[in-house]
Amino acid sequence: MIKKVMSPLRIIAILAMVAVVAFAVPAQSKNLKIGFSMALTGPLAGAGKAALIAMQIWKDDINKKGGLLGRKVDFVFYDDATSPSKVPGIYSKLLNVDKVDLVVSSYGTNEISPAMPIIMRKGLVFMSLFGLAVNDKFNYDRYFQIMPAGPIPKDDWSRGFFNLAMAQSPKPKSIALLAEDADFALSAVAGARRHAKRLGMKIVYDKTFPFGSPDVTSVMRAIKAANADLVYVGSYPGGSVGLVKAANELGLKAKMFGGGMVGLQFAGIQKNLGPMLNGIVNYDFWVPEPTLNFPGVKEFLKKYQAGAKGKGVDPFGHYLPPYAYAYLQVLGDAVTAVGSLDQKKIAAYIHKTTFTTVVGPVKFAKNGEWAKTRTLQVQFRDVKANNIGQFNKPGKRIVLYPSSVKSGSIKYPYKQ
Amino acid sequence: MKIDKFWLSVLVILIAGFAFTKLADNEFYFFTTYVVLQGLIMAVAWNILGGFTGYVNFGSAGFFAVGVYTTVALNKAFGLPLPVLLLAAGVICGLLGLAAGYLTLRLKGVYFAIATLATALVLETIVNNWKFVGGAAGTYVLQPKGSFIFDNYIELLFMLMLVLAVAATAISRYLSSSRIGQGLAAIRDDEVAAECMGVPTLRLKLISTTAMGALMGIAGAPFPFFVTFVDPVSAFALVIAVNAIAMPMIGGTAVWYGPVIGALLLGAIQETATVTISSELNLLIVGVMLVLFITLAPKGIVGLIQDYKKKKGANNG
Repeated sequence: MIKKVMSPLRIIAILAMVAVVAFAVPAQSKNLKIGFSMALTGPLAGAGKAALIAMQIWKDDINKKGGLLGRKVDFVFYDDATSPSKVPGIYSKLLNVDKVDLVVSSYGTNEISPAMPIIMRKGLVFMSLFGLAVNDKFNYDRYFQIMPAGPIPKDDWSRGFFNLAMAQSPKPKSIALLAEDADFALSAVAGARRHAKRLGMKIVYDKTFPFGSPDVTSVMRAIKAANADLVYVGSYPGGSVGLVKAANELGLKAKMFGGGMVGLQFAGIQKNLGPMLNGIVNYDFWVPEPTLNFPGVKEFLKKYQAGAKGKGVDPFGHYLPPYAYAYLQVLGDAVTAVGSLDQKKIAAYIHKTTFTTVVGPVKFAKNGEWAKTRTLQVQFRDVKANNIGQFNKPGKRIVLYPSSVKSGSIKYPYKQ
Repeated sequence: MKIDKFWLSVLVILIAGFAFTKLADNEFYFFTTYVVLQGLIMAVAWNILGGFTGYVNFGSAGFFAVGVYTTVALNKAFGLPLPVLLLAAGVICGLLGLAAGYLTLRLKGVYFAIATLATALVLETIVNNWKFVGGAAGTYVLQPKGSFIFDNYIELLFMLMLVLAVAATAISRYLSSSRIGQGLAAIRDDEVAAECMGVPTLRLKLISTTAMGALMGIAGAPFPFFVTFVDPVSAFALVIAVNAIAMPMIGGTAVWYGPVIGALLLGAIQETATVTISSELNLLIVGVMLVLFITLAPKGIVGLIQDYKKKKGANNG
């Protein structure tokens, strides 16, 4: 029967040839091309799309100033669908087929790491967007990460929470630790655990809960029963919303509650939770407080908020977008200062320079992380119900830490 | 001496693949071909149980992930070389396939399919809580220094995947054309009748689950070195299981070369879509093609061509 039809080997050979020919080589242009993959679909698409809006604002701004090295800047980007296995192929296409001049990373640890071997092999400068301690393993001297976690990212993340707690009187003695079972949340809580042990706190509860659990009331009930002075949580948006609601319903009596809850930075979730947020101390990266009014940030956010309308992304863009703009600012400033695309010189310049960006002054440590942590600890205050606009103004997320950008003092304990 | 066309083709493919690593300086082809070949091995493996035997496995990602995490664990514990890791992944996943088969093959139809899905969920839960391999937080796996006779590690991975894909296809071809294959086909057509005719159904089904598991594990073993960061979400990804089913269904499940055709076609379309339209389109492409083929051409591309040739032959005759 097989011999009567087209030979299977012939069909396979034709298909293999089609597969090879399918990837046509595009023509090279004179414009300076910056290539990247971005999570435009999949679980991180909301953040990825917001980052892309910010990056395109930078591109427009730089092109209005004449581009980089006298060349207009173009982006070449592909959607990695929040799938790490797509990233190596995308970067190899960017570098070998599209022949981009510079590359920057996608959003998030899982999407940054798979690009590293290719980037390292080519000796390229790699600005990365919100990767947690990616360079701990690679030790690549041309890697620079824009999230202000600090030189020891996993520990610096929660350092502010504990510094604040230990400055209170009487000092807290016990802590409950809770992590949602996935990458970032576990790392954040691991750091918190080390701080708790270093400070001699009694850990009265230390558990994880499954990623994406729809109901976390029972978890919060157990935490309440543990009666800890501090409750440090590492969680993702769904879990964070559930835990805040459960804490309110059950009347959690901890002195400080929060820490590493992802989602509480987004306007949609803030509106949803409303006054339930009051008193929570949580990490953040930028809030509209006067102490964080860096040059250009307001202009940037105005453009972002106009561009974000109807795109299904965070309408205010406080959390990620300024950093997506800033990591290109750093790269652009370095290229301009060096006057060429010499990757070694660009990396050396980034290492020695303090950059002025929309997220404030940025100086990198030897490992490519921020030289000093600026992971904010903010406290929600006077939040009213059903008012999204309030979160775009000062006074709702008071900066407690670090002291260099502090905008108010902590209300302690969490619930009176 | 007459040389089998198949083995001659295998030789040509391997020599061409090796020559490609020496002649091509565009890494992009190696990366994309790696992904296509990984899909091909998964599809061929799935077809041994799903196509030849008629038992639908929804838990392919589980076997793939066990291969992935075998590499992660043994690499972390002993720093073993890649060939040993491949072998270990094959043995462990083969045994897992054997055990899963022994426990679940008493189930039939939809119940068997649900049991395989549950197996994958159980495995994912175990990995999520296994701190040594990074648990839910994931772990980094750095590519070893040195790349044998190749210029870089991706060329090595590409060549390795090509050899594995050819080997998987050869195993599938052997299983389909041997007495084992006839027995499996008998089980697929009517298991009770096959049993009455003296076909050792349980033994044959266990052979197919073991072969399927081993090949899927081997497909997953090099993955950590390809992505360098592994977490349960990427190792147990839905798209792995969906592609493993879709590729044979589109190519044709009844013959050994059906999954190969399906994998090359679907894999090439998906990789092209990733860098032209959108990565997310991949699942839509798979879904649409799957619906079209199941409703319009249930025997896949191979069946379509066979029908066309038959019709042409009848008209001529």
